[in-house]
Amino acid sequence: MHEVAVAQQMLEVIRRTLEGRPPVRVRVARLVLGQLTCVDPETLSFAFEVACRGTAAEGCRLEVERVPLRVRCTACGAEEERGDPMAPCERCGDRRGEVVAGRELQLTTLDVEEHGP
Amino acid sequence: MTEVIRIQEGVLADNDRAAEDLRLRFRESGTCVVNLMSGPGAGKTTLLERTAEALQGRLRLGVAVGDIQTSRDADRIARHGVPVVQINTGDACHLDARMVTPAADHLLPLGLDLLIVENVGNLVCPAEFEIGEDAKVVMLSVTEGADKPAKYPLMFHVSRLMLVSKVDLLPHVDFSMEAAIADARALNPDLQVIALSARTGEGLDPWIDWLLGLRDKARGR
Ligand SMILES: Nc1nc2c(ncn2[C@@H]2O[C@H](COP(=O)(O)OP(=O)(O)O)[C@@H](O)[C@H]2O)c(=O)[nH]1
Ligand SMILES: [Mg+2]
Ligand SMILES: [Zn+2]
Repeated sequence: MHEVAVAQQMLEVIRRTLEGRPPVRVRVARLVLGQLTCVDPETLSFAFEVACRGTAAEGCRLEVERVPLRVRCTACGAEEERGDPMAPCERCGDRRGEVVAGRELQLTTLDVEEHGP
Repeated sequence: MTEVIRIQEGVLADNDRAAEDLRLRFRESGTCVVNLMSGPGAGKTTLLERTAEALQGRLRLGVAVGDIQTSRDADRIARHGVPVVQINTGDACHLDARMVTPAADHLLPLGLDLLIVENVGNLVCPAEFEIGEDAKVVMLSVTEGADKPAKYPLMFHVSRLMLVSKVDLLPHVDFSMEAAIADARALNPDLQVIALSARTGEGLDPWIDWLLGLRDKARGR
């Protein structure tokens, strides 16, 4: 399970993002996570919470936005969401397709507050 | 007061940068690199032993093996006279570019034509991590079942070649080659497929030819 490695990288990205700013506390971190990405959101949330301990992001809320898999059909060119990656094209029935979206693994925004009482 | 800060880089940006550094180094030393991935026990090390024999005198092969603790795989391959570096992965379930870098430090000065990296046995995690390779190869053994591409679509999506291994066991198992290939190609229409057996040697020639072809293409880059 590489969720721990992913969580540590998320924290590293947060650290770099906050570098050079006045001290803040992170309240919310938002992550977009494609359906095809092999990261389990619950495991990641837990690993992230652990990774955040003792940092400016300790106790922050992780909001995960799932991005559905989108595929462009190789046979007919139709572009559609595929809940099931193995499902055939709704228009022509072919299964082969090019992945248009669904591989996202990106922090998008942080809500931060000034540090202090 | 709450402030919203935008973030510009992807979560795996660090790894992507380290992989890019490796890619440049591989290119400079003229070494073609294959990232060989599979579930546990699909037959990667056995195939590498056969590959080392087949490539002897034809090109300079080196191998890096990701192994959780033991050096058993590395020892098996080293017996065939190929330079091998074992990458101790500890509790990591995949190789990343940072872990491959010391292996590259060791192996690249030897002037290799081809470096094959045996990844950790896992059909999930290694798919996410670039290591500066020219091609990702996924191996699926017939004993694992034909449902794996449907269960782990990312691995088959990112790979250039699928090796269906242990085909000598086909008479004894319930494995549909057509279903496995069709599922694997659903999100990767260009996926190449070679069926082989390291035990009988069936399919070994196409695999060796594929490696030689990749090496030639890498030279022209
Ligand atoms: N029948 C058969 N067994 C194989 C073949 N290749 C490997 N094996 C066996 O599968 C087991 C795992 O092989 P190994 O190469 O260690 O797999 P790895 O974990 O992917 O490196 C060993 O017992 C091998 O002897 C093959 O082509 N046919
Ligand atoms: Mg092995
Ligand atoms: Zn279609």
